[in-house]
Amino acid sequence: MTLTETPPKAPARQPVRPPRKRLRYALTVAVFLLPSAVPLLLFTLIPMAGSLWTSLHEWNLITPMKWVGLDNYARLLASEETRAAFGHTLYFIAGYLPLVYAGGLGLAMLLNRAMRGRDVFRAIYFLPVVTSWVVVALLWKWLLNPASGIVNWAIGLIGLEGPGWWTDPGWAMPSIILASAWKDLGFVMIILLAGLQAIPKEYVEAARVDGANAWQRFRRITLPLLSPSTFFVVVISLINGFQVFDQVHVMTGGGPAGATQVVVEQVYNLTFKYGRAGEASALSWLLFAVVLVVTLIQVRGQRRWVNYG
Amino acid sequence: MAGSARVAAATLITALLATACSQGSATRTEEPAAGGKVTLRYFTFSAAPDHVKDLDTIVAAFEKENPTVDVQVETAPYDQYFTKLQTSIAGQTAPDTFELNYENFVTYAGAGSLLDLGAAGGDTDTSGYATESLNAFKHDGKQFALPASFSTVVLLYNKDLFEKAGVPLPTADWTWADEQAAAEKLTDKGAKVYGDFQPVTFFEFYKALKQAGGEFMSGGKSTFNSPQGVKAAKWLVDKVGKTMPTEAEIGGTADFDTNLFKSGKLAMWHNGIWQFAGLKDVPFEWDVVVEPGDSQKASAVFHNSVAASATTKHPREAYAWAKFLSSSNVAATTRIASSWELPPVSDQAVLQGYLKDPVPANRQAVFDSLKSIALPPVIARQQEMQDAVTQELTEAAAGRKSVEEALTEAASKVDALLG
Amino acid sequence: MAKAGKYVVVVLGALVMLFPFAWAVITSLTPSGAVLQTPPDFTPDGAGLGAYERLLETMPFWRIMFNSLWIAVASTVFQLVTSSMAAYAFARLPFPGRGALFAVYLATLMVPLQVLVVPLFIEMRTFNLTDTYFAVLAPTIASAFGVFLLRQAVQQVPKEFDEAAVLDGAGHFRIFALVVLPLIRPALATFAVFGFMASWNSYLWPLVIIRSPEFMTLPLGLANLHGQFTTEWNVVMAGSVVSVVPILVLYLFAQKHVIASVAQSGLK
Repeated sequence: MTLTETPPKAPARQPVRPPRKRLRYALTVAVFLLPSAVPLLLFTLIPMAGSLWTSLHEWNLITPMKWVGLDNYARLLASEETRAAFGHTLYFIAGYLPLVYAGGLGLAMLLNRAMRGRDVFRAIYFLPVVTSWVVVALLWKWLLNPASGIVNWAIGLIGLEGPGWWTDPGWAMPSIILASAWKDLGFVMIILLAGLQAIPKEYVEAARVDGANAWQRFRRITLPLLSPSTFFVVVISLINGFQVFDQVHVMTGGGPAGATQVVVEQVYNLTFKYGRAGEASALSWLLFAVVLVVTLIQVRGQRRWVNYG
Repeated sequence: MAGSARVAAATLITALLATACSQGSATRTEEPAAGGKVTLRYFTFSAAPDHVKDLDTIVAAFEKENPTVDVQVETAPYDQYFTKLQTSIAGQTAPDTFELNYENFVTYAGAGSLLDLGAAGGDTDTSGYATESLNAFKHDGKQFALPASFSTVVLLYNKDLFEKAGVPLPTADWTWADEQAAAEKLTDKGAKVYGDFQPVTFFEFYKALKQAGGEFMSGGKSTFNSPQGVKAAKWLVDKVGKTMPTEAEIGGTADFDTNLFKSGKLAMWHNGIWQFAGLKDVPFEWDVVVEPGDSQKASAVFHNSVAASATTKHPREAYAWAKFLSSSNVAATTRIASSWELPPVSDQAVLQGYLKDPVPANRQAVFDSLKSIALPPVIARQQEMQDAVTQELTEAAAGRKSVEEALTEAASKVDALLG
Repeated sequence: MAKAGKYVVVVLGALVMLFPFAWAVITSLTPSGAVLQTPPDFTPDGAGLGAYERLLETMPFWRIMFNSLWIAVASTVFQLVTSSMAAYAFARLPFPGRGALFAVYLATLMVPLQVLVVPLFIEMRTFNLTDTYFAVLAPTIASAFGVFLLRQAVQQVPKEFDEAAVLDGAGHFRIFALVVLPLIRPALATFAVFGFMASWNSYLWPLVIIRSPEFMTLPLGLANLHGQFTTEWNVVMAGSVVSVVPILVLYLFAQKHVIASVAQSGLK
């Protein structure tokens, strides 16, 4: 497994160095990496190993662990609930990712230019990102209240009948997607804005001088030069999307009728509510496998479209 | 709980205080080298946010009597309390003493996490406690926790709405049929006034089941998928959309029922006595009555207890604190004075203090409801059972399943959890 | 015309974004019991700061704010340093197994926190570190998210810049500190906001690891407002409003002093 994302311009191999210089170079690399590698090892990788160990046991946290080998995995792989949980998670991602990326990009483009009150607008669009999910969930449940919410009231004005939103198994996930995309727009916006800031203005200017229209400039210059930021947003949004939890937990708790029971909601219930920590760990490692494969595919694929300076 | 108990209780409390004191001094002689204090951790979910000061009062009184013990209080909200408790037990840093509600008690007692308080205390005098409460926290014949407080569920009603609609007020003799008839007359959908509100949950179901004369489980198998079970489930489910708002109308609004009742648009409300404090200033007359039954009366009781960790290094102090917190006069009167649930003591004189508060007028109903109580069924995999039953009943309430289908499904899930 | 149209879109969007916050503020000013009605009452009777007073009296508010603030600041500083250094290595210092190591970094983001909490707690217990500031802080010293974000930024810095510095005889530490860091200031500012936010809002881990009230952080304090049977929503809303303020201030600061300065310098 190699993830080397060698930038196009970088030399493919290291120049041969004399031993002393090699040692010095190795030391330099170590000094740059150890401050992050040591804490990650201690406070993330070791607990990860702990959870892998847990996944081979039956454990309710309050009695001693009981070795069960791969039973937890076997049971989960055969269970209808696991399949449903992964299905719901994928459904969430499929709806959420395009919405939040397109919205965030649009916002970043709009707010990248000079305009009156730009900083204030940026801050306002960032507000939902920093507001707690407890507040946001209450708000959206109220907006999307099937009987008295504003959204259905507006739909009623044009003579249609609004859906049951999060109280209806068919509409619960779209409701969560909508709320999540709305909340995270500012997150994507701020990352893409930082990326846009890094694009030399001269490039865009040069294209304008060459007679490229706005769409062409966006398509040919901005988008390719923004691709590292886009890559980051997509990879991180997928990693986070697979682990969607907070909004589900506070908006629907996995209901109605289990329609929004996503993987991590299941993990949480198994660990802390149902005393089945072994199964929860096993489920997390199944999720890990899926996320890892998806991420590796993206990293492999990035050479085709991500453009590093 | 009546008559001679009153006399017995007076002597008991004296005895109790004496015990607590003597244990304090016993500790002192036991650990002379330390010279200092024993720190005893107590973890609780029921104190925060409103009763932290009341707990401090009890702690101060205990420490005064047990100068060698320093009780260190830790709090967590109920939702996350068990996350924290489980993790600390897993990490072998369990608090010396902690609060447990009745539904979770069996899980912890069965897991061997709890200290046998009967053995640790070395005294068997338990006459200070209401017997039912004490027995609720026995497991395999051992006293693994001491009952510390309880609340009951009653029928709260808006007198003004009843009088306006010309419906006779609820009485202790009411049955489901009376409640339903009244609820139908009181419901006025045009004015958004509802006759009744009873959540469709596990907790309401097991109680309604008992009211209908059914049994939740027996001999290690569920028995609620019975004619009585169907009757109980229909009693709950059929209200939804008729005399009670639907889930869509409730719309996830926090404390919807509380606000509905407070705004004078709910005639009858099945809820706990913990709501009394919040209803002090409502601009209408209201009162309470023992919940109507069907073939019999049965009222839900929520019990909290105090238990000690099996791994505590201070079993005697843990016992002394548990006993003080659950049955001392200070604890009992502090709870009553601050409406912090009710103390499970046998001393009626202490409990009389609860009746002094004029609102609601029929506070006696709270004690009357104890004459026939319904304790929730408890199993090792409690939370899964509660969630499964609530989810299936919700399906029926939303009209996605028939009551019979939902109960069949719930029964098979519960049997799987029992098996 | 098009410009005016864009402006209208931005303003309308801003209103939609502002709404929940405005709603939280209004709810927090509403007397308890009158909150969260449907339809909401935007001109409640008896509006006042009662909920904020209650916030101050139900918890050692200033102590909690202090804890949260300093933990978040320390964690942000740690993460900025550790992540930017690692980012430089991953972007500029080729070595065998670099790709695999980066994959391991990313992999630390892929297991849900919910199953790591218990093993991490047990680990802290064996180090005898439970219920300490350090234990709260420990998992946020390094951040794979930050390494990834900053690596993308370093990769966007044109190589010619460091090559020029190398010709001047600068080593990697000088290039990192004097060339690369100033050029990735927008990304650093962005990450500072996220790092701060992650620590500030962190809930599950502090919940489990802290037991002494004197170490309590804001999310724990706010969660304590939910009782077993009832919740005072106006106080919860007041707490939420207060909790947003520091992040917003940080964001405005980051935007004004870092992002803007880069844009104005015309360098990039």
